[in-house]
Amino acid sequence: MGRLRQKGKAGAAKAYVTRSSAIKKLQCSLADFRRLCILKGIFPREPRSRKKANKGSSAPTSFYYAKDIAYLAHEPVLKKLREHKAFAKKLSRALGRGEWSSAKSLEDNKPVYRLDHIIKERYPTFIDALRDIDDALCMIFLFASLPSNSRVPPELIENCSRLSAEWQLYIMHSRSLRKSFLSIKGVYYQAEVMDQTVTWLVPYQFTQSIPADVDVRVMLTFLELYQTLLGFVFFKLYADAGLVYPPPLDMKKDEGGAGVGAFSLHDASQPAGPTSGKTKAVEVDGRKISSKDVRQTIKSISATSGNVGADVEMSGPDANTEEADEEFVVHHSTSDPQASASLPTLKSLTDLPQSLSTTLFAPYTFYLSRETSRPIFEFLVRSFGGRIGWPASSGSGSPVEESDNSITHVIIDRPLTERTNETAEERERRLRRKYVQPQWVVDCINAGKILLEEPYAQGKTLPPHLSPFGEYQGAYDPTVGLTGEGTAAEEESEGEEIEEDEEDVEVDGTDKAALKDAAEAAAASEDPAALRAAELAAEAAGVDFGAFEKEVSKTRKITKKKAVEGSIEDAEKDMNKMMMSNKQKKLYEKMKYSQNKRDNERAVLEAKKQAISKQKKREAKTKG
Amino acid sequence: MAVKDVAKNGKKRKQSSEDDAPAPPTMTVGELEMLSDEEDGPDAVSDDGEVDEFPEIDTRSDSEDEEFEGLDEGDDSEEEGDGYEEEDDSSDTGSLHVFPKAKTIVSDITGQPKRVYPEIEPDYDSDSSTEDDPNRVGNVPMHWYDDLPHIGYDIDGKKVLRPARGDELDRFLSTVEDPSAWTSVFDKNTQMDKPLTTEELDIIRRLYAGEVPDAEYDPYEPTTEWFTGKGKEEIMPLSSAPEPKRRWVPSKWEKQKAGRIGSQPSSSHPPPLPAPKPRLPTNSESYNPPEEYLPGEEERKEWENQDPEDRDRDYLPQKHSALRLVPAYDCFIKERFSRQLDLYLAPRIQRVKLNIDPSTLIPKLPSPSSLKPFPNYSSLKFTHTKGRARCVSVSPDGGWVISGDESGKVSLWEVNVGREVKSWNFDSQIGALDWCPRLDVSYFAVTVEEKIHFIIPPNVHGPVLSLTQALLAPATLPPAPTTPSPVKWVTPSTSSRSMDTPILTANLPASSGLPTQLAWHRRGDYLATVSTGGTQGGVWIHQVTRRHSQAPFKKVKGAVQMVLFHPLKPHFFVATQQHVRIYNLSEQKLLKTLVPGIKWISSMDVHPSGDHLIVGGYDRKLCWFDLELSDKPYKIMRYHTRAIRSLHFHPSYPLFASSSDDGAIQIFHSRVYNDLMTDPLIVPLKILRGHEIRDGLGVLQVKWCSRQPWLVSGGADGTIAVWCS
Repeated sequence: MGRLRQKGKAGAAKAYVTRSSAIKKLQCSLADFRRLCILKGIFPREPRSRKKANKGSSAPTSFYYAKDIAYLAHEPVLKKLREHKAFAKKLSRALGRGEWSSAKSLEDNKPVYRLDHIIKERYPTFIDALRDIDDALCMIFLFASLPSNSRVPPELIENCSRLSAEWQLYIMHSRSLRKSFLSIKGVYYQAEVMDQTVTWLVPYQFTQSIPADVDVRVMLTFLELYQTLLGFVFFKLYADAGLVYPPPLDMKKDEGGAGVGAFSLHDASQPAGPTSGKTKAVEVDGRKISSKDVRQTIKSISATSGNVGADVEMSGPDANTEEADEEFVVHHSTSDPQASASLPTLKSLTDLPQSLSTTLFAPYTFYLSRETSRPIFEFLVRSFGGRIGWPASSGSGSPVEESDNSITHVIIDRPLTERTNETAEERERRLRRKYVQPQWVVDCINAGKILLEEPYAQGKTLPPHLSPFGEYQGAYDPTVGLTGEGTAAEEESEGEEIEEDEEDVEVDGTDKAALKDAAEAAAASEDPAALRAAELAAEAAGVDFGAFEKEVSKTRKITKKKAVEGSIEDAEKDMNKMMMSNKQKKLYEKMKYSQNKRDNERAVLEAKKQAISKQKKREAKTKG
Repeated sequence: MAVKDVAKNGKKRKQSSEDDAPAPPTMTVGELEMLSDEEDGPDAVSDDGEVDEFPEIDTRSDSEDEEFEGLDEGDDSEEEGDGYEEEDDSSDTGSLHVFPKAKTIVSDITGQPKRVYPEIEPDYDSDSSTEDDPNRVGNVPMHWYDDLPHIGYDIDGKKVLRPARGDELDRFLSTVEDPSAWTSVFDKNTQMDKPLTTEELDIIRRLYAGEVPDAEYDPYEPTTEWFTGKGKEEIMPLSSAPEPKRRWVPSKWEKQKAGRIGSQPSSSHPPPLPAPKPRLPTNSESYNPPEEYLPGEEERKEWENQDPEDRDRDYLPQKHSALRLVPAYDCFIKERFSRQLDLYLAPRIQRVKLNIDPSTLIPKLPSPSSLKPFPNYSSLKFTHTKGRARCVSVSPDGGWVISGDESGKVSLWEVNVGREVKSWNFDSQIGALDWCPRLDVSYFAVTVEEKIHFIIPPNVHGPVLSLTQALLAPATLPPAPTTPSPVKWVTPSTSSRSMDTPILTANLPASSGLPTQLAWHRRGDYLATVSTGGTQGGVWIHQVTRRHSQAPFKKVKGAVQMVLFHPLKPHFFVATQQHVRIYNLSEQKLLKTLVPGIKWISSMDVHPSGDHLIVGGYDRKLCWFDLELSDKPYKIMRYHTRAIRSLHFHPSYPLFASSSDDGAIQIFHSRVYNDLMTDPLIVPLKILRGHEIRDGLGVLQVKWCSRQPWLVSGGADGTIAVWCS
């Protein structure tokens, strides 16, 4: 007889711990536990059997891997959090006793945790990190647009806006923007960086307020992590692109509302830019930072966390020059199972002939009208190589004046108004330029080519704006109706008529085709009105009534036969379903359910579209 | 040893007597207290210089002691005194070294000068720890003796008295007078001051200066290279073993270690799974979507009434004519927040998505059109006007049908025509009826309220009729059974006999209830009935020729639903509510119990080969048993929407039919193979609909015509339909 196995000593009971027992083990508060989970990327797991994992109880709890918790127990951040707790106690005591000097010294030696090592652990390769920055970018862009308050300090918002500007600069510089989408939630951008698609959402420029039912602490913890992550990612991206990181900020321009323009990109291989002269003073967060300061901070970082020292040291200004010539060595992602075996390197990508679409707007110069959003369109146009100017009301630093003769397009979002009292020069300028609505820019980008400006001209009703990201396979496609079936058929019939007029010799062939078309249409539709219409069409096509009648009955028979056959087949299939096992039957039903749902959705959309087009025709008729 | 002790004792005694004399300086330097005032006695610093001296004295004195034992003590004391004197001299002169003196000589081998130390004699006294110490208390705290007049014991066990110390003034005076007082230390062991030697002073000075205590030691000696350098290369290998593989093969372990370092982060914990990316926006999320995406009034209302968790999308499509009119999205922060909650609170389960066409799940079966003939249309209908057509039976030659209804009417009609030839009326409901399967006789049995009537149909050929009459109403009745049976067999008298009345009647015991089922043995002699009430489970087996009935079971577990004879073997199937039991009638024992897993069995039928059984239940299930294979069903099917009422295998074609309360009859192709390895092939062929549902009852019984693939079905609507191919 083997050894008796005791219950709860092995298997799921050991592998999982509940949240409350995890907190008990880590000896921290729930808030701290949450923070740690967020920072370390630890999430609850679903055991195969909840009862087994919870020692026979089926109470609703969340489970974590015991190993994950053991891993958290050794986290330096946890230690810092504990230290902080002690510090808070000491400080409150000192303040309570009125010991101001000791309180001050405590405050000076406040424990601060760093997240550098966590970034390195969570993202062993750069690709891993790059793949995960979608959410980070969304958050950064959101917080960059938030107003500061007691819970959200202004420094945080400033840092977020700096990071977002850096990202935009990089995307514009590397020309890696691919798609964009104006949705009701905000503007979606999709870029391809090192063969990874990065999608982020930027809200429209309105002041948002944090709702009461949102836990700001959770958001701020995420933001903390994301800021650190983006710092590392941007450093690497800039270094690979041969740029100085962080890009120097011109305070004067920034105060003038230049936005992205306040930063200037410098080639790291060139020794001196305009601001990085001898002193190498960089203004970050509004204070001057000399290279000495940088070195000191680096030292302190490497002192506090030995294992990240090597990484941080690279941020020294001279590391960049070496980095620039280095080829990017791809580390295969360890955590992503779908990652393809051979990822193209940056070099191979840059060797590829750049498609025309990345320099789509290169020959054009745009001017933004006052009411259009400058950050969106400046980013879009500059990412595709265009030049853009804007009026002073949208911020300073416009490279193009309104009177500039090189302006080809004006992005305008105003209804058309009668222009009075314009000078001849203005008028001439207006005629030379093309006035388009903002959607034109985005549609051009998504189409990968310059579209006709005419449908997007000022004051016109815009064509629908479609998502460039596509839908699931077999979904309703609104473009089919627009350019395909209906119009195509119409065009065809028109062409036929023309042909008929021109060549009478060929009339037999087209005749037959027309006859067939008409008969099919008649047979397909049972209602007499359609039949009548088809008859008329046939008559118009020059088919005599008898032939038409015969053809109709023939096609009807065929379709009936087909329908009967189909129904027989369906019945057989239905009967064969009897022989399925219960499991298979359930699976089949499930699949059929989702399929039907999708089909239904599609049918509803199609029906709506038909109704709309009918109504439009009717309206046109009544008008005409 | 005893001798020596005595001698020592003598010496001690002498010492104690001479105590008044000025204390001689201590004879050992080894026990001195240097700078520490700890109570640890002997210091590690051994002075070999004196060791050289003293052993001789000691040995001498010892030997003398041995030699001149019993002589006067003066000699001994003299000796002692001499020894002390000598000691004093040596300490005074300072010629003594703490370490043995080294001589510097020129080496013969290297030609270099080298120091040579005197050889250490490895005899008894070579170690300083064995030196003679007058006080032999050993390493004990000396403050134990603070209150006592003595300070310990000598080797003979005599007390060593405390030397006179004088008062503070004396001590001060002695420090003033004695020039060496400042270089003397207090020896705890002897409780006396003891001057330090010059060597010791030198050591102290060196220690103060932080130098090496040994004056002779040169820490900066030039290194001598013995094995390396020019001219000292080794040309020949030290070993003739072949070069090991590890010298030139790259290390596997180092490679593994490097791999570990290179591929993984510093911690051994793998990084977490990457979070799934959020859904990308579709057309309906556009600020200017195509119009068909805009929700109608109803859709909008429905969306608003739904719980936010139930909505399949979190926004309503809107259309704005210009970008400047697009407002802020009010749920932006909320959506971000919920995404973050998903990121850290949701368990990430990887679900395998089946990417298959659902139609591939349907089993591929031969097409029904290739399995013809089977009944697929209703050729004629016969109607019972008064009640439900409960039971129906087809004659063994396949030409005639009898059907009974609930009003007590039994009709005989032709399959081909559907015209009623004759009808019999009984007082109450017909329970069951069935033709005798024999071909040489022609009669059928009908059960009406605890009676089984045997009736000969009209239009029977002469020889068959006479044979049948001879069988059912023989001139000489068979002998009565030895044990009286409760079942009475009655034949009406020849005078009252007519075509309208049964030729033979078996009266089941009173209150046994209406026999609801009749099952003939294939030979046509035995007949089994199942009654609704009564004891013995209501099962009776009757033998027509002997006019004998018996109840095979004394007690049956559960209510018997149906019984059947095995077509080939003397086996008997009994279906109770949930089980089917197979008995061997000749051996009278239970063979097998089948468990179909049906809640309430309604019907069953056995395949003509006898190896397969189908069981139907009121819970819509149909189970196919392979009797050779297992007690569990080979196949369970559930296709009827209501309870299954009746099942029947075709006697010659590979067909079976099931009827149900949903008004449908399902025809199956069921081919069984003699080969045990091949599974039976079951193909659904046709669903026959035509019977109406009355009071929740549909088709109550189905029977096949024996020679054609035709089916006769009786329904609750009183019609009996013939289905032809």
